[in-house]
Amino acid sequence: MTATSETTFTPGRERTEIVDIDVHERAALDELVPYLEPQWRRYITEFGWQPERLLPYAQPTAGGLDRADAKLPDGRPGGSDLGLVREQLLDLYDIDTAVLTGWLNASALGAGWPEFKTGLMTAYNDWQVQTWLERESRLVGSIHVNAHDPAGAAREIDRLADHPRIVQVMLYIGDRPFGDPFFEPVFAAAARHGLVVGIHHSENSPTALGHHRLYAEWHTLISQVFMSQVVSLVFNGVFDRHPQLRVAMIEGGFSWVPHIMWRSDQQWRELRSEVPWLARRPSDVIREHIRFATQPIEEMTARQFLGLVEQMESDELILFSSDYPHWDFDSPERALPPGLPDELTRKIFAGNARATYRLPGNA
Amino acid sequence: MSVGVGSDQATRVCASSELAPGEMREATLGRLPAVVIRLHDGSLHALVNRCLHHGAPLARGRLGHGSRGEDGVGDYRADASVDALRCPWHGYEYDVRTGCTLFDPSRRLRRLTVWEEAGSVLLAP
Repeated sequence: MTATSETTFTPGRERTEIVDIDVHERAALDELVPYLEPQWRRYITEFGWQPERLLPYAQPTAGGLDRADAKLPDGRPGGSDLGLVREQLLDLYDIDTAVLTGWLNASALGAGWPEFKTGLMTAYNDWQVQTWLERESRLVGSIHVNAHDPAGAAREIDRLADHPRIVQVMLYIGDRPFGDPFFEPVFAAAARHGLVVGIHHSENSPTALGHHRLYAEWHTLISQVFMSQVVSLVFNGVFDRHPQLRVAMIEGGFSWVPHIMWRSDQQWRELRSEVPWLARRPSDVIREHIRFATQPIEEMTARQFLGLVEQMESDELILFSSDYPHWDFDSPERALPPGLPDELTRKIFAGNARATYRLPGNA
Repeated sequence: MSVGVGSDQATRVCASSELAPGEMREATLGRLPAVVIRLHDGSLHALVNRCLHHGAPLARGRLGHGSRGEDGVGDYRADASVDALRCPWHGYEYDVRTGCTLFDPSRRLRRLTVWEEAGSVLLAP
């Protein structure tokens, strides 16, 4: 086998436009201190706050959370340096647009100190705009919010939504389903401003049975929390309340989507009396409102891939993502199986993302 | 630099003293990316520097030992008989001496010829 025999791109073929909807920039906590309101600075400088980490394992890979080659020579983690992001991703793969998805999102942290964490999200967002968006035109950004403080989250969305390079409100998955009406102000604010809500896996996302003995089990079961979130949003009527809302499920793959569509439709028919506010089949709601990032994509043949697209009854639901700089990065050259139709490939690599995020471009 | 020792296609990688035991270096053989490895026993090995999986540069990964667990769940043993090169991205492990993946010996990286001569490490197809 040669090094290039499994690439998606055919040499000499017309260039493929690429939008990558999951690229992680990362701040050190001390970088955020100048961006914090004064009352919150000592929570880091004096009290030594660190993000609560619920995962009972380290990441047993060559580079921990990151690709080993994405760490900086001075020891900083991957995603800390724009220059290396350009070298290893934007320039190397000729990425047209990358959606920043961040590192520190309070929605997946514990519920304690909610006001501090809301303030921390404000600082993070300002740091993101100044350190990344204002320095690289290929990047668009996300508003990180603390969903445990829905009113504060809505205020933060209102504060930043008009920034021309902000395209998304970002929620990381902890242990609560986001369809709970408690979170309604977050979705209302996103819908009010026409922003996508990105729902992303995190180290604080459990499996359906909490935490198993092994990291390999946890990482195999990533998709479970995404199934929970899709079902929660749909059955709790989030999209009935916000008919223009779009949600991107990021870092959960998509091969499980047909199962959830079929099962949700069946339950809606059988148990409709419990959810009388749902006027439409869940699968129709999913197709209209929810999109799914590719990574971490399962390794499958083109025939298997096309079978999933057929089962989803839409070729507009899948959006390419790399998850750079993390260890389970999917290279644009290898993520999709060779042999997919060109039109579908173009939609997955760019067209579907441009439509979802309302990005200007060729598609 | 190409040198005519043993093969017209040989390439000098570095001085022997620049590749210590437990270290590896990136090199190229024509257009072929290579990783040259000196194990702790002093032996030299060379493989194509592209993971079979997503094409990651293996020279940016980690050298270490293999692992065994033949007594079942919870049996963790370092296997010093296997020198493993671990991909910097998704962690595919390769036996440095054979180029085979540890999870499936039928999947193998191409091995290249590497030797020392007159104080230099040399590489050939």
